[in-house]
Amino acid sequence: MRITYPRLGDAHIYGRLLFQEIGMELVIPDHNSQIGLERGSSISPEDICLPFKLMVDNLISAWEKGADTVIMPATMGPCRLGEYGEVLKVVLDRHGYKYNWILLDSISAIGLPNLKKRLVSIVEDSNCSRAEIVRALKGVYTVIKEFEKLEKKARLYSGYEKQAGKSKEIVKKCRRGLARTTSINMALKILEKGHNSIESLELDQLKEPIKIILTGEIFTCIDSFSNHNIEEKLMDMGVSFEKTISIGWWLDNTVINPLGGYFSNKRFNEYIPYRIGGYAKETVSGIYRFNKANFDGIIQILPVGCMPEIVAKSVFDGLSRDENLPVLSIVFDEMVGEAGYVTRIEAFIDMLMRRKNLNLYKGRKCYI
Amino acid sequence: MRIGIPEGLLFHRYERFIRCFFDRLGVDVIYSGKTNRKILEEGIKSCVDEACLPIKVFHGHVSKLRKECDKIAVLRLMKCEYGESICPKFCGLPELVKSGTGEDNLVFTGPLYLNDKNKAKKAFIRDAKLLGISAYKTSRAFEFAFKELYVNKQREELDNRIVIALLGHPYNTKDSFINMNLKDKLKNMDIGIVTEEDVPEDYKLKQQIGLLKKPYWLFLRDNYGAASYLSEEKRIDGIIYLSSFSCGTDSITIELIRNKVKDLPILVLKLDEHTGEAGFNTRIEAFIELLERRKMREDYLS
Repeated sequence: MRITYPRLGDAHIYGRLLFQEIGMELVIPDHNSQIGLERGSSISPEDICLPFKLMVDNLISAWEKGADTVIMPATMGPCRLGEYGEVLKVVLDRHGYKYNWILLDSISAIGLPNLKKRLVSIVEDSNCSRAEIVRALKGVYTVIKEFEKLEKKARLYSGYEKQAGKSKEIVKKCRRGLARTTSINMALKILEKGHNSIESLELDQLKEPIKIILTGEIFTCIDSFSNHNIEEKLMDMGVSFEKTISIGWWLDNTVINPLGGYFSNKRFNEYIPYRIGGYAKETVSGIYRFNKANFDGIIQILPVGCMPEIVAKSVFDGLSRDENLPVLSIVFDEMVGEAGYVTRIEAFIDMLMRRKNLNLYKGRKCYI
Repeated sequence: MRIGIPEGLLFHRYERFIRCFFDRLGVDVIYSGKTNRKILEEGIKSCVDEACLPIKVFHGHVSKLRKECDKIAVLRLMKCEYGESICPKFCGLPELVKSGTGEDNLVFTGPLYLNDKNKAKKAFIRDAKLLGISAYKTSRAFEFAFKELYVNKQREELDNRIVIALLGHPYNTKDSFINMNLKDKLKNMDIGIVTEEDVPEDYKLKQQIGLLKKPYWLFLRDNYGAASYLSEEKRIDGIIYLSSFSCGTDSITIELIRNKVKDLPILVLKLDEHTGEAGFNTRIEAFIELLERRKMREDYLS
């Protein structure tokens, strides 16, 4: 059994580490690319969201590399992700890619015993004992958490560094190293080195960079191809920013703490009081972080036609109209005209800078 | 106090329930009436750009009611009567409307789970209390209205030569302004129409066997079940699917239906605010002609 799963940001790096540790092989699909996206959209249903098209292409390229089983997470939420498995199967079967499917559905849909059975069926080829598998899982979780800490620091420091582009380089180097390592211990060593080098960066504490919250739909936030490398662009502009959504955050909220969804539903949020599927509520709760710490603006990213994020965008629109909240919503689709996105981000950053300077020198609140 | 009720979105599905409930509440109720050009234009002005046509129309209904009423009832439907969810926009409808139109006086915005009778009743009682309506009155009105939810429609016998299934979300198929009188047009061409409401609930449920996973959307379950049942029984000659542009759930529903019914002709009509009627008519006429030719060949061969 040769397992694969669709790409999601750095998830294949972690997955490769895990499967290597338990003596199995993971087929990693090719990088997302424009040609791949076109191949994916040529057989996808119309009006489907961007992640689906990328996933179709991922699975085709994994099939060409010899994979025969797909692991696919699914939910019972009103978002489209829950039906992805079904439609992916229909589309791929029709074109002759006859995979075996392991749908990791939520407990409310298939029950705990069924989910356990499906999880066990993933690792049935491995010779490792259960304890070893659990240890490997723990190790990978630590790697994910450590790498995200590193990324978080880099995002923050990119506004303060004396030599521009250094922190970006460190993260990139670390990611390259992780993609090549053969064991979790080595991965942890690489991460330690990364942490050391980012701590020894020369920072200019007198700088006052623009600070931004980057939030939005989970796939676009995590996958750098579908958001046109927005993180690196922001780092190049010398903006220091915080990203609220990542793979580690998702793991914490759904796997480590299965009641995460329940707690999130109960948490107070005056803009979207109930969870409406996807992570719209969490997107909007970026406003609270914005008000609490000294941030200058919010950037929301979403793929075209994403249902929950449209509600979040509407809330943001209303707030930016009525309360002068600086928000930029960027909708990504298959078009690769990158200049348009860059111009909008640049204009937004310029506006924030002007606003900040006026606030600093005139000593009163400025409305642009 | 006057409560306004927008006749958009799932009002079309739950019309009997809503009318029955609010008429018994003993408050002054105004319905926004049928959709028209002015409502659509108002809606486009106030709604977020990315939303679909029915949501925009709903915004228009709310804008119309703003001038006439003190409060507007915008129901937040989380689960339908058989336990399915709907598009996420319905769960966040009060927020969408609030930030779009700037209307603050929305009532009945508590989350509704219609599959759980007691929970739904409690939600209605809580919301009605905010308006000063007694719990007794609300619960009586709710009991009356709840019966209306599970009434099955009477099936009519169709004797037309060509019968098609008109599928799609109820607010598209029933709102004659949005779909440009599609039903009348088809009737004038002497075409019999079956909708998903004509297919009983248990038949739809049976059709889910064979799917990888139990569908959780109301519209997916209804339309897929109906299409699959009707095509298996060979009761229809073709399917017209009415869908709004960039509809999230339909992108999946249509794909699954296509995969199920194989070579049964399907016409997918996308609706948006720019749809010109001439192009719409041409497509319907061409489709009907195609069905007639197929029918002729079948008759000839058999």
